[in-house]
Amino acid sequence: MNPEVCDTLRHYLLDALRQHGDTQDMTDSDSLFLSGRLDSFSMMNLILFLESRFQLSFSDLEFDVEKVDSLDAIAALVQAKS
Amino acid sequence: MSTVAAAHPAPVGRPAQGDPVRRWLGVEQSPRVVAFAQTHTGRACLYALAFIATLPLLSVWAAALSVAAAWAATQFADQRVRILLAASWGLTLFEAVRDDNDFAEKIGYVVEQEHWTQLSAETLAVGALLVLMAGLWLAMQFVIRHPACLLARRPFVCMLGAEAALLVLSAPQVDHGLLRVLVWSLLVVFTPFVWFFPLAIADLRGRAADPPAMQLAVQRPFWSHYYLPFGKGTAYLRKHYSALPREQAITQIKGVKLLLWANVLLLISQALTWFFSDYLTLPRLIHAIDAFVAGQPLPIATGWAVLIYGSFRYALQIAIWAHLFIGLARMTGYRLPRGSWRPLESRTLMEYFNRFHFYFKEILVDLFFIPTFFKVFKQHPRLRMFTATFMAAGVGNALWHFMADIQLIAVDGLWSAVSSFSSYLFYSFVLAVGVGLSQVRASMGYRPSSTLAGRIYAFLFVWSFVVLLRVFSDGTRDHSFEQRLQFLLSLFGLPTGIPL
Repeated sequence: MNPEVCDTLRHYLLDALRQHGDTQDMTDSDSLFLSGRLDSFSMMNLILFLESRFQLSFSDLEFDVEKVDSLDAIAALVQAKS
Repeated sequence: MSTVAAAHPAPVGRPAQGDPVRRWLGVEQSPRVVAFAQTHTGRACLYALAFIATLPLLSVWAAALSVAAAWAATQFADQRVRILLAASWGLTLFEAVRDDNDFAEKIGYVVEQEHWTQLSAETLAVGALLVLMAGLWLAMQFVIRHPACLLARRPFVCMLGAEAALLVLSAPQVDHGLLRVLVWSLLVVFTPFVWFFPLAIADLRGRAADPPAMQLAVQRPFWSHYYLPFGKGTAYLRKHYSALPREQAITQIKGVKLLLWANVLLLISQALTWFFSDYLTLPRLIHAIDAFVAGQPLPIATGWAVLIYGSFRYALQIAIWAHLFIGLARMTGYRLPRGSWRPLESRTLMEYFNRFHFYFKEILVDLFFIPTFFKVFKQHPRLRMFTATFMAAGVGNALWHFMADIQLIAVDGLWSAVSSFSSYLFYSFVLAVGVGLSQVRASMGYRPSSTLAGRIYAFLFVWSFVVLLRVFSDGTRDHSFEQRLQFLLSLFGLPTGIPL
């Protein structure tokens, strides 16, 4: 996994968590959306970020929250699509 | 379709520290209590408490059936699907034969119009539910065999299409007599499932889908017989199921706590009703508008008190019912986030929309926000976010409330039903614009201040918005948009100017 990508994603996700008043630690495999730490609007902001920063493209039919539920999952998605 | 939870803190495994109240509130973190909750005696105590806590909110039979089903589903985990299926549809059918039930009442309007007395509205409701159950089953089998069909790809659109077709077929201009009664009965029982069934189809499309029996079991599950999927669909439930005994015990303790909290809120609501309605004789909002329309307006201060109290009372009602439903779901082993999560702490309109009625927001996000978000204005992020939010908070919100009162089309006709909905349409529009702008600001990096002054300002801003809009969103159709607008203007001492 590209460490630069992981750092960028980690920075973004930690910032999103802080905005939600969540100051707990986050490991790379922690569930973010399914666990309830972040909400659906945060997920859409994440999608916007992934689209603009990594030129990813999503469609509603194939979209699954599990694909973006943790830093590991997002990093794998970025790697697979880039 | 997505499955997303609210921003609720996840449970932690360490014992609660600090004062006795804090320890009591964090009782599920005590290893001794969790161990006890896994014993037969502990489980008996938990379910007895759940039953007692459910009694003030449900009929004795519904409470007994719900708590017994929750117990059985966790006690006999290998039979969980069958138990959920029997309990959910058993309760649906049981409620359909009771006097004054929602289905029979709505069917009754057309039965009366058609002077059809051979079958009672209750019998028609039960028959229509059985037909619907078979129809949903067949639809799922069809989707499994034809995963690329329109129903599999666009389940919500198909459900809305079916709703519209039934509505047309049940119009008095189209048919009369028994046929109209039968079609109308089917429409009435079909309507709530428009908000449930697309989640089942979306799950069936996935690789790890639950079987159709499980999908059917959570169509209006026994823990929340309502128009909204509290707990969403099987995909969400699967991810929130506590399978291990320790996890399940913690979930059940949290379920009992939530049910008890619903009772505390109920007591607060009753105390407020006694104080404001009985002691101070403060009228309901609808009666305050009645008095205004009759030319006998209440003093301005009283009008404001009515509006603020009415808004707070509504927030309490939403929280009480949400806690009941989620409490029962937790007793069934599903570690679901709360349905209402400290709405008074909302710092933005977007946060309010998320916290106030979480599962309502979730279904609107799944069925309106996400499909819009992935389709429109991909090159214009702010417009894209605003449009998607508007579709959820505005269009979806209005459609859900309009369909919940579908009987008004039979009673008053389509045009009257739509025109009497104008004030709620206005409410949905303003709410959607407010939440949409709040969402766009958040996506642009705006962060609400966390200072005390900032929090007070945010509270006043969010709740002023909510309270003012309450004039248009109280759910009744008794007053026109103009009358409500004049009432609101009168609260500011402004000349209303519009003839009533």
